[in-house]
Amino acid sequence: MRAETLKGHLDFLLLATVAGEPAHGYRIIEELKRRSAGAFDLPEGTVYPALHRLEASGLLASAWAKDTARRRRVYRLTARGRRALASQRREWRGFTNAVDAVVA
Amino acid sequence: MSYLDDLSTELAAVGIAGSRKRRILAEVDDHLRESGDAAGFGSPSLVAQRFADELASTGARKAGIGTFLALVPAGLLYVVLFAFSGPSPDIASAHTFAIGLPAAALMLLAPQVALAAALLGVLRVRARRGDPVLPAAEVRVLRRRAAVAVSAGAIALAAAATYALEYRAGLPSWWVTTALAAAGVALVPLAAAAAALRATSRLEPRAAGTAGEISDDLGVGASPWRVCLVAAAVIAIAALVAGGPDEGPRNAVAEFVAVCAGFAVLGRFLGLRR
Repeated sequence: MRAETLKGHLDFLLLATVAGEPAHGYRIIEELKRRSAGAFDLPEGTVYPALHRLEASGLLASAWAKDTARRRRVYRLTARGRRALASQRREWRGFTNAVDAVVA
Repeated sequence: MSYLDDLSTELAAVGIAGSRKRRILAEVDDHLRESGDAAGFGSPSLVAQRFADELASTGARKAGIGTFLALVPAGLLYVVLFAFSGPSPDIASAHTFAIGLPAAALMLLAPQVALAAALLGVLRVRARRGDPVLPAAEVRVLRRRAAVAVSAGAIALAAAATYALEYRAGLPSWWVTTALAAAGVALVPLAAAAAALRATSRLEPRAAGTAGEISDDLGVGASPWRVCLVAAAVIAIAALVAGGPDEGPRNAVAEFVAVCAGFAVLGRFLGLRR
C-alpha cells in the first residue's frame, strides 16, 4: 500500500495497535504488519516520530521497560487516547459503511 | 560513522538535543538490534527531519493554547483594576510625565494586542486540529502569534505596575497595592509560557505547505481584507457607542485606522493574510 494512502490514518492505526496491550516501537510495527497481512509495511522511520507526537499530544504514554536487558521504551494508550480511538473508530465505520453502500 | 552517530548529528542539526535526543537514539538502537536493518529505517536526515516536523507541530499547538491560558491571570487583573478603578487621575499628574504617559497608553494598547494575538493563536490551532503535522510555515505563524501575545502581555503588566507607581498620588492605595502584587503574580505563568515557546522554537521544521490566513481562522470564505474591514467597523462602532457624543467619533476613527494599519503592517507576519 502506498505511504500517501496510509498517511492520514497513521495515528488511528497506531492507537488501535497499542490499544490491546502496551508495546515498544519495533513490536508495534511488526504487529501492524501482521494484522494487515503485510499491507501496512510502514517505513520504520515514520513510526517513531508519530509515536513521540502522539505522546506529546497526551494520547499515548511511555516508560522504559524494567524487565529487558537493554533500554526499551514501551507505549500504552492513555484515557484520552482511548476516547480518541473510540471516536476515530466510529468515524471510520461510518465512512466505510457509506462507501460500501455506494460501491457494493 | 555508525547509523546512530549519523542520526545523532542530524537530530542536533534540526534542534533536537538533551534528553529527547538521548531517548530517540536509545529507541532506534533497540529497534535496529531487533531488526538488524539500518537501511530500512530510513536516511538519518529524513528521520531527524520527521521528528522535528512532528514535535514542532505539537509544540506550536501547545504554545498557542498555553499562551492563551497564561494570559488569563493578567486578563483577570485588568478586569478587576478597570472595574474598580473609579475616576482616572489627571493624565498630567504623573510623578514623571515622560514615564507615566507611555505607561498609560501601553496599559490600554498592550492588553488588546495580547488578547488578539492569543485568540488568533487558539483559532489557528482549532482550524488546523485535523492535521497531525503542520507545514513549517504554519508552525512559524503559531510561534509568532504566541510570541506577540506573551510579549504584549508582559508589557501590559509592566505598564499597569508603572501606571500604579506613577499615578499613586491620585489612586486608592488598595488599587496601587493590588496592581503591583497582581502584576508580579500574573507574570509567572507568562514566564512559563515564554520558556515553553523558547524550547519548542529550537526545533526547525521543514514540512511543505502554506500557512492559512484570517479567513481560515474564522472559517469564513471572505477575503482577508474584507474580514479586516468588517472587524475594524465593528470595533469602531463599539468605540463610538462607548465613547459617547464627545469622544466617540474620534475614538471610532482612531480604532478603525489602528486595526487597518495593524493588519497592513503585521498581516503577513502573523499569518492574517498571504
